[in-house]
Amino acid sequence: MDKVLVIIPAYNEALNIERVVGNLTENYPFYDFVVVNDGSTDQTGEICRRHGWNLIDLPVNLGLAGAFQTGIKYAYYKEYAYALQFDGDGQHRPEYIGLMREKMDEGYDIVIGSRYLTEKKVDSMRLVGSCLISAAIRLTTGVSVKDPTSGMRMFNKKMIEEFAHGLNYGPEPDTISYLMKQGAKVSEIPVQMDERVLGESYLKPFNAAVYMGKMLFSILLVQNFRKRD
Amino acid sequence: MTVALRCVLIVTSVFLTWFMLRKIRQSKIKIEDSIFWIMLSLLLVIFSLFPGLADILSDIVGTYSTSNFIFLLMIFILLMKVFSMSLKISQLERKVTELVQSLALSETKKGEKKDGADQKDT
Repeated sequence: MDKVLVIIPAYNEALNIERVVGNLTENYPFYDFVVVNDGSTDQTGEICRRHGWNLIDLPVNLGLAGAFQTGIKYAYYKEYAYALQFDGDGQHRPEYIGLMREKMDEGYDIVIGSRYLTEKKVDSMRLVGSCLISAAIRLTTGVSVKDPTSGMRMFNKKMIEEFAHGLNYGPEPDTISYLMKQGAKVSEIPVQMDERVLGESYLKPFNAAVYMGKMLFSILLVQNFRKRD
Repeated sequence: MTVALRCVLIVTSVFLTWFMLRKIRQSKIKIEDSIFWIMLSLLLVIFSLFPGLADILSDIVGTYSTSNFIFLLMIFILLMKVFSMSLKISQLERKVTELVQSLALSETKKGEKKDGADQKDT
């Protein structure tokens, strides 16, 4: 079986979830998906239940890492060959899932949907952060990842198993950097992303700065001392 | 600050950092939670290597000696940590309560459904 599971972590995405998953079920019915409702306080869960969508309802809020790991565990127990991290806010376009899947056949462990592979990075604060993380990863692993903060990543079976059971395995750039250092093969394909249409992003300027600090600290310092068991 | 105090600070900092990295390696602590401890040891190392910095800060605050200032700073930082940990523990307790309740309620719901189905059969 080499099916792809699309994991959609959703926290208070009532404004977007209908459009995002609706698009997926209508135009791409051949992909299996699971919505992980991360203890939302709005209608996210009800909307999914009303449509009869495949839903995992977390009773409390775990945060992105915990919600994503729930989806990965589901993929692990259902023995999916590939798992895709997919945003519930409509940034990611499902038309690239097929291309990412094809890229996996070249023997990669992780394929990232990259915004900056073909286009040049436009100058803004968010991209400064992205460049910094890129530089940090290049410094520690020697490999260049153009868009490490992209939230659209596909993992193969080996990675699914590792993400399902590890502690410090958030779906973030530092984990990618660590895995690359441990010998995982990572590739990127160019994708386009849409701006978030409705609702508020978690990455407000202050949070974004804290996030950058955490990532840099983790990539540059901590991950070098981690060992895989 | 005496040379002995500076040495003690550096040794403890190095030991603390080493200990934290070991715990991360053993998957015993989340990286986010280790940041505080590693930053703390970094701060102590900076003060030990450049005691002039601590002297200046001590003068500004008005403590009798630099070592007093270091103690005060440590107490303050640890107090903040305890405060934030209290908050976190409260949130954790609430989450555990919610979890246990939702688990128990869903078990009850399942049981009731089963009972209802049984009665229909008879």
